Amino acid sequence: MSNAEKRIMSDDNQKASAFILRLLGNPALQGLTALQKEEQIIQFLAKNSRQLYPTLSSDQFFQGKNWEQIWKILTAALFEEIDKSLHPTLKNLITDKIELSFIPFLRQQSTGYEKIKEDLYSFIIKLLQKQEARRAFTGPFSALVFNFADRYIDQSFARKEYVHFELTKVQKLKMSKEEMKNMIAVSILLNPAVHLLSVGSVPGQQESPGGTIQTQFAIKVLDVLKNNLPSIPDEVLGSGVNSNVSFLENRTIGATARITTLFVSRCRNYNPNIKIDRGADTADKSWFSIARRNYKFYGYDVKMLDEFYKTAAENGW
Amino acid sequence: MIGGRMRSKVVAFFEGFIIFAILLVLVQTFLEDFAVLIDWSWEIRRALIFAGFAFDLLFTVEFLVRLFYAFLDRRVKDYIVHQRGWVDFAASIPLLMLNSGPTALAIIAGGTFLGLGGILNVLKVIKAIRIARILRLLRVLKIFRQIKYADSPMAQRHVSKVTSISISVFVFGLLVITLIAGPLGIPSVDKVFDAQHEAAFTLIADEAEKGNIETAANIAENEADVLLVKSDNKVIFSRLSQDLAPEDFGPGEYSYMGKGAVEVYFSLQGLARYQAKDNLIYFVIIIILVIVFLVYYSPHFAITISDPIHVMKRGFEESSYNLEVKIPKQYKEDDVFRLAAMYNEVFLPMKDRSASEEGSEMVDLQIDDFDDLFDEGT
Repeated sequence: MSNAEKRIMSDDNQKASAFILRLLGNPALQGLTALQKEEQIIQFLAKNSRQLYPTLSSDQFFQGKNWEQIWKILTAALFEEIDKSLHPTLKNLITDKIELSFIPFLRQQSTGYEKIKEDLYSFIIKLLQKQEARRAFTGPFSALVFNFADRYIDQSFARKEYVHFELTKVQKLKMSKEEMKNMIAVSILLNPAVHLLSVGSVPGQQESPGGTIQTQFAIKVLDVLKNNLPSIPDEVLGSGVNSNVSFLENRTIGATARITTLFVSRCRNYNPNIKIDRGADTADKSWFSIARRNYKFYGYDVKMLDEFYKTAAENGW
Repeated sequence: MIGGRMRSKVVAFFEGFIIFAILLVLVQTFLEDFAVLIDWSWEIRRALIFAGFAFDLLFTVEFLVRLFYAFLDRRVKDYIVHQRGWVDFAASIPLLMLNSGPTALAIIAGGTFLGLGGILNVLKVIKAIRIARILRLLRVLKIFRQIKYADSPMAQRHVSKVTSISISVFVFGLLVITLIAGPLGIPSVDKVFDAQHEAAFTLIADEAEKGNIETAANIAENEADVLLVKSDNKVIFSRLSQDLAPEDFGPGEYSYMGKGAVEVYFSLQGLARYQAKDNLIYFVIIIILVIVFLVYYSPHFAITISDPIHVMKRGFEESSYNLEVKIPKQYKEDDVFRLAAMYNEVFLPMKDRSASEEGSEMVDLQIDDFDDLFDEGT
């Protein structure tokens, strides 16, 4: 690459960064997580390409480039900007917020927690180099950033109904509530791991309309995942991977996987600062209500949805 | 562009000023009657009367200006019928012509005690003034056009309409009853006072004409409303003193009767107090009506009609909006909430599935959100 070409590229990157920063600065994105912002901007660019292209291909921006080239420059700049805040947040989440003390309850473990966390972080960072994995990580990341699972698990333990029964009696998790929360957090973190084997935009094979994968494919992913993260118990890896499988297709999916499915889906568009209009139901209650009606489509566990719906309604969430 | 902006500013200032004036005139309307009821000094009452006159003049000008612009825009009917032009009219010109105008003129013309007494029997004018005063209560309605108290224009219009109907029926009902009370012989406080004064006058005049001046004076002494009796231009009785000076009586607060050489002046302050009390009761009823409509009915309308419609509208318009309509149990059979139930149970789940199938996330960003998206591109 000649010096002139390098200079042009650098110039393009600067323009792209300035443009992306302008988009990121929009007040409509306030309160969203880094990946939610990224998703919004990608959708915005895709949706408005016709209006944006004439100006973006002018001499003011990326003269002579077609939309595909401009798209690449802009998304690269976007990922770079997003990673500046995403990586430190993720590091903080994995190293400081998630406790791995649940692992001894699942199997004997000689590897230190710090090493496991480092492996986990490296694995996620590597995974996020895939665009489809980044997209799939939007929900898990929001769920972790906003500690979404904790309050529902607390309520489930207080209610001692279906969710509690499924966790303690069916999945037979012999650990404390806090350890279960951490196990679910790791499961949430591993939810997009199905994209390890993805080709293009789908994880290895055609997804169902509801975004679920088939059990056979989940088994393949799990095998690969075990090699990538050998220090994490299989139950946890399985929970993360199986959270992408429809419960209607596979009734043996563990409670933590089903909980992961719901919270990851819920948090894809979760915004804790959303203003509830007068006359509207609360955000979580609305989401769980809609999800109850679409449970077959998404392969959710409807009984779990019923309980979380009641919890949201009773708590004004 | 600059001219248009300037004009908008002038219009905004004018509308703000009118709102301020409406609030002030409501206070003035209350105080004018309250002052009579608790017997404030004539100076204060006179100031309040002139203030009322100034407000009526202002609202008359406001009505004429609005009518003029409506005429220029060829929307006179729209202004009069739909934009409450009729309220602007009823609460301005008739009051100026029949109420505050004549009162102010009488004061300016020296209509204090004895000044007009022999020349003009003010009583007939006073009756017209009293009837017209009822129209002042319509001023409360003016506030509805200017103040935005509901988010939804539909809610604002409905609450405003139902309030207008109630207050108008009440005010015009009072007006009609007052107008037909006389011809139909319905007893009224006015008539009681008139009858008492006529009876007293007949007695005093008879005795005075017979030359029984002392008896006439004694009768006058026993009639609390008799202020002054003259016979052959000589004062034979006077209740006036430093505490009850002629200057304390405004036009409409005394009456005059004369027959031959006998002239009698009666105080109408007792009657004025009765009427002030009635006016204050009507005023308070109207204010309570307005408050009930605003505080109780307006939220009820919002909860049962405009809010669910607003939520559904956002759900239809915005791809990222997925909040359900809250359906109160007691209203679930209402048409609006039956529609909302379909929105919750059918539309939102379908919208969610559709977004998932298309792989499109819920996008909050719109290209219109950016005024200067490309400004710093270079």
